[in-house]
Amino acid sequence: MLKITPEELKVITRYIHEISGIHLDAGKKYLLETRLSSIAEELGCSNYMELYQKAKRDARRQIQQQIIDAISTNETLFFRDEGPFKLLQYKILPELIDARTPKSSFMKTPIRIWSAASSTGQELYSIAIVIRELVGNDISKFNFKLLGTDISDSAVAQASRGRYNKFEIERGLPRDKLNRYFTLRGGFWQVKDELRAMVHFRKLNLMLPFSGLGKFDIVFCRNVAIYFTMEDRKKLFNKIADILEPDGYLVIGSTESLTGICSRFKPKRHLRSIFYQLQ
Amino acid sequence: MKQMRILVADDDPVIRRLLEKRLSENGYDVTVVSDGMEAARLVDRKRFDVVITDLVMPGDIGGIELLQVVKDRDIATEVIVITAYSSIDTAVDAMKKGAVDYLEKPINFEELFLRLDKIAQVRALIRNAGDLREAMDVTEASAAQTIQQLEITAGDLQLRLDQLRRILGRDDRPPEARIAEALGLLGREQG
Ligand SMILES: C[S@@+](CC[C@H](N)C(=O)[O-])C[C@H]1O[C@@H](n2cnc3c(N)ncnc32)[C@H](O)[C@@H]1O
Repeated sequence: MLKITPEELKVITRYIHEISGIHLDAGKKYLLETRLSSIAEELGCSNYMELYQKAKRDARRQIQQQIIDAISTNETLFFRDEGPFKLLQYKILPELIDARTPKSSFMKTPIRIWSAASSTGQELYSIAIVIRELVGNDISKFNFKLLGTDISDSAVAQASRGRYNKFEIERGLPRDKLNRYFTLRGGFWQVKDELRAMVHFRKLNLMLPFSGLGKFDIVFCRNVAIYFTMEDRKKLFNKIADILEPDGYLVIGSTESLTGICSRFKPKRHLRSIFYQLQ
Repeated sequence: MKQMRILVADDDPVIRRLLEKRLSENGYDVTVVSDGMEAARLVDRKRFDVVITDLVMPGDIGGIELLQVVKDRDIATEVIVITAYSSIDTAVDAMKKGAVDYLEKPINFEELFLRLDKIAQVRALIRNAGDLREAMDVTEASAAQTIQQLEITAGDLQLRLDQLRRILGRDDRPPEARIAEALGLLGREQG
């Protein structure tokens, strides 16, 4: 495995921050080596400075993308932490459905939900399952729009495909939901079309401006800001405040807090879970 | 899951062509070479997930030697050796030296694909374990930060509570004055 020098460590961590917002301190030397050495070697680089220069010169940004895919931590699971999904089912969705149900039957007001760092899709599919369980066959009476975004191309690709291996599927997904929403195909579990048709995934870097995203009623932004610096977290949640509907809901990770990060949000409690709304 | 990259080394053109065809049809990224020398050269330049090699090849580098080159280069690359029934002993020897598996000629492709699936699964699992460790690390740090924030906030609140208690408890002053002062303190904080 190619070793990284202290000088290279500085250059590479700065570069990774620049392209993804991911903040790595000097303690992550080993992580960088295990994740980047194969990319470096494959490109015929004899050290990390060469890799950096190659990545900078690569106009098609393929190397940059490879580095992001390698360095991003895509760890996720279905119904992670449970609480937020109960919250969704028993409070947020009923309230929103109430507020958005059309007065005339011609116009279906959309309910827009965004998983802001969707990784390989488990979070957004869990949300889709909750919606399905809640409204059942009345799904066509509503206009749910579910968007998942992530900076990692390979994560977005897997999410769109909706295919999971045995280990991924066994984490967090109850048996009955597995049987109801997935089919076993060639050794993998494939999300059924009824669920897949509800969601959409695409690539987005949360460090960049949210242009053209529109407004959302619910934003899940969980376990991604923890990889960023305080400064970047502030900017991120400020931008989320901008794109949230005035009565919209924000859900963050169970170990995260917005105290000292964004005062535009007010924490609220329900069923032992916390969510945020605009002040 | 990423496409697995496989190197095939075999001096028999028929087996080579067959492996190349079947493997690429099944979604693997395949490179084939006809001897151990060339395989060793390639392994030095490029990274493979799996090397499938014949045990007996012409030249200085046979299957066992190639296995050693591969493992020296990157211990994580898996090696499967192909062997004739007559040389099972050598195959067992190869496994002792680090090959994951051996296949007998003629090659049973069902069996080969099953083993490759297993290798892919283990590799995905290893990557997941790495991710899990890193995620735990960062999440723990985040939890510690959040707890610290809460402790600071709780400390501030306690301080104010103590102040209020002191103001309200001063029975040398009329109640109205105490209340007014307490409200004043609260008002100041609100603003
Ligand atoms: C640990 S996963 C969280 C997945 C899911 N939200 C959950 O809580 O289970 C973090 C994800 O954030 C993504 N990510 C990291 N930096 C990002 C950025 N700047 N923009 C968008 N996504 C990013 C990573 O690719 C990774 O998939």
